[in-house]
Amino acid sequence: MALVSRLLRNPVARKRWQRFKQSRRGYISACLLILLTGLSFAAEMLASHRALVVYYQGELYFPTYGATHSGRDFGLDYAYEVNYRELKSQFANADEGNWVLMPPVPFGPLETDLIAGDFPPHAPSLTSGHLLGTDTSGRDVFARLIYGFRTAMVFSLLLLGFTYLVGVAIGCLMGYWGGKFDLFFQRIIEIWSNIPFLYVIMIVASVITPGFWTLLLIMAFFGWTSMTWYMRTATYKEMARDYVMAARALGASGSRIVFRHILPNSVSTLITFVPFSVAGGITSLTALDYLGFGLPPPTPSWGELLKQGTENLESLWLVGSVVTAMTLILMLVAYVGEAIRDAYDPRKFSFYE
Amino acid sequence: MAGYFLRRFLLIIPTFIGITLLVFAITRVVPGGPIERMMTQAQLGGETGGLQRSQGGGTLSEEQMAELEKYYGFDKPILTGYALWLKKVLQLDLGLSTRYQDPVWQIIRERFPVSIFYGVTTLILTYLVCIPLGLLKGMYHGGRFDGASSAVVFLGYALPSYVIGIALISLFAGYYDWFPLGGFVSDDFSELSPWQKTKDIFHHAALPLIAYLAGSFAVTTLMMKNALMDNLSTDYMRTAAAKGLGLGQSVRRHALRNSLIPVATSFGSNISLLISGSFLIETIFNIDGIGLLGYEAIIERDYPIVMGILVISSLLYLIGNILSDICVALVDPRIRFGGGVH
Repeated sequence: MALVSRLLRNPVARKRWQRFKQSRRGYISACLLILLTGLSFAAEMLASHRALVVYYQGELYFPTYGATHSGRDFGLDYAYEVNYRELKSQFANADEGNWVLMPPVPFGPLETDLIAGDFPPHAPSLTSGHLLGTDTSGRDVFARLIYGFRTAMVFSLLLLGFTYLVGVAIGCLMGYWGGKFDLFFQRIIEIWSNIPFLYVIMIVASVITPGFWTLLLIMAFFGWTSMTWYMRTATYKEMARDYVMAARALGASGSRIVFRHILPNSVSTLITFVPFSVAGGITSLTALDYLGFGLPPPTPSWGELLKQGTENLESLWLVGSVVTAMTLILMLVAYVGEAIRDAYDPRKFSFYE
Repeated sequence: MAGYFLRRFLLIIPTFIGITLLVFAITRVVPGGPIERMMTQAQLGGETGGLQRSQGGGTLSEEQMAELEKYYGFDKPILTGYALWLKKVLQLDLGLSTRYQDPVWQIIRERFPVSIFYGVTTLILTYLVCIPLGLLKGMYHGGRFDGASSAVVFLGYALPSYVIGIALISLFAGYYDWFPLGGFVSDDFSELSPWQKTKDIFHHAALPLIAYLAGSFAVTTLMMKNALMDNLSTDYMRTAAAKGLGLGQSVRRHALRNSLIPVATSFGSNISLLISGSFLIETIFNIDGIGLLGYEAIIERDYPIVMGILVISSLLYLIGNILSDICVALVDPRIRFGGGVH
């Protein structure tokens, strides 16, 4: 909030912020999206096989983060990690005043929970506690959805950071220096933007089997051009304005002109692209995971769930839950994007009849 | 202007070389190529068979390695290998598939009809649906029709087409069984009458076509609507209204033509879709087009096919971009390319 109020000292920005808030749908979507993202960072407290709180013999334990507790710690006869769901029912049966508080989804994203007498994927049911069923390895779909959302969100935000950083830096220099540097990068961008993006990433990912950071770097490597092109145009536009000439006449150095004059005036409009980049990051990561060229298993991911769903079409809950989740998130992102665009460029239409 | 387009066409050459060289280098430099894969396979085989052999074994012999590398052309440095490959491409020889031992061009050509069918149908449907819809939405902006159709447009806008495709196939083919589970035609296709054949194709094509349409539907509709609304507030429309022309007539006679300009710019990018299709949608619906071929080639590391598809799709993409500009110049005589403005 402090950041927001500091940014709002600028009257143009304040007007845009007010217009953004006036668009109820966009504002509420933005709040919801931030809330969901925030919640997903505490995913361990929402979906985990570890209990939130254990009360045992007058002491409180918080096993969510930190070291594992062995069964002996709670008076059980095994040395491996406690099964908190069993512990809960045992405590309840024993009735000695001990209790266990489980997270809303009492299953971890990597934990297989096989039900005797039935092959996974298990259908959603209240008795087993799997509200959205399990996947083909018996892992809880809801838990994997939550963790998959976090992965996708973190991935696309980092990707956005990388591509914007490179794009702003190179684009600004292209516009500022012009000449040979500009021409050289123009050709590079022309080549880059004509590469069939998904196809080439599939080729690369098939050859090197990427992890989280490698995949991020590969996608940033092929995805930086659109921002660069935009920044180049914006810089050229600003360079031609009188205030840059005035600053130069006053003897301002090159770096001062770039950092104090051109960047503040051109970067602010980059915000209008952010929602589209976030949506693009999520959808391309999910597509790659779906095709099997994304994050390595057993990373929880939406694309991997989609793949299982299309291979097991009779288990409709797999595809159903991922498609619902994606629709929800991408609609929210699109509403925010629409509201930001309206805030930056209020279109007033007139009719003549 | 002719000079401008000539220059654009000439610029295809360096761009094409850049793209193919980049991907060629990737398939060469990164570890895990076909040779390395064969090596590890041989090593694994060697370990299991190591009990019988007293020592050595395991890896491929130097001779075998050299033979393999020569077979795939991996024995030459990247640039030489690339030059040889490019020379063959210029002679319209895309090489042999490492999987089927057939010429790559022949394999790709066999997939053309399917991809072109989907490409052309999608293209026609997109313009048939989007232009009237965008017009109506623009003319009655804020009305009941605009509001009702906005939900559909927005859904298509927010969701990528492959997600829509997956949702469609699992609901209408997997759960309700109304449509077949993918493929291009039924197994007994050759025994059907012409009318039944057409029906069969479209029965199979309905879901993929909706998914394809969803990909470009929202963008084109909104483009059409926004362009029309920009034109509705111009002076010449005010003049038309002042003369007493009704909304329908003034749109048809004046605003429509000007509003089609931005839609025309997107025409060229559809060309590449026309043939190379979408990897995702073809994979989802198991359509035997070029997209699925590329996907399988990547998985099987059939690099000649991978490179062959890259050649065709990047050429189409590059030419499509120029076609877009030619379309724009054709519909809008005010536009002059090559005036030195970037």
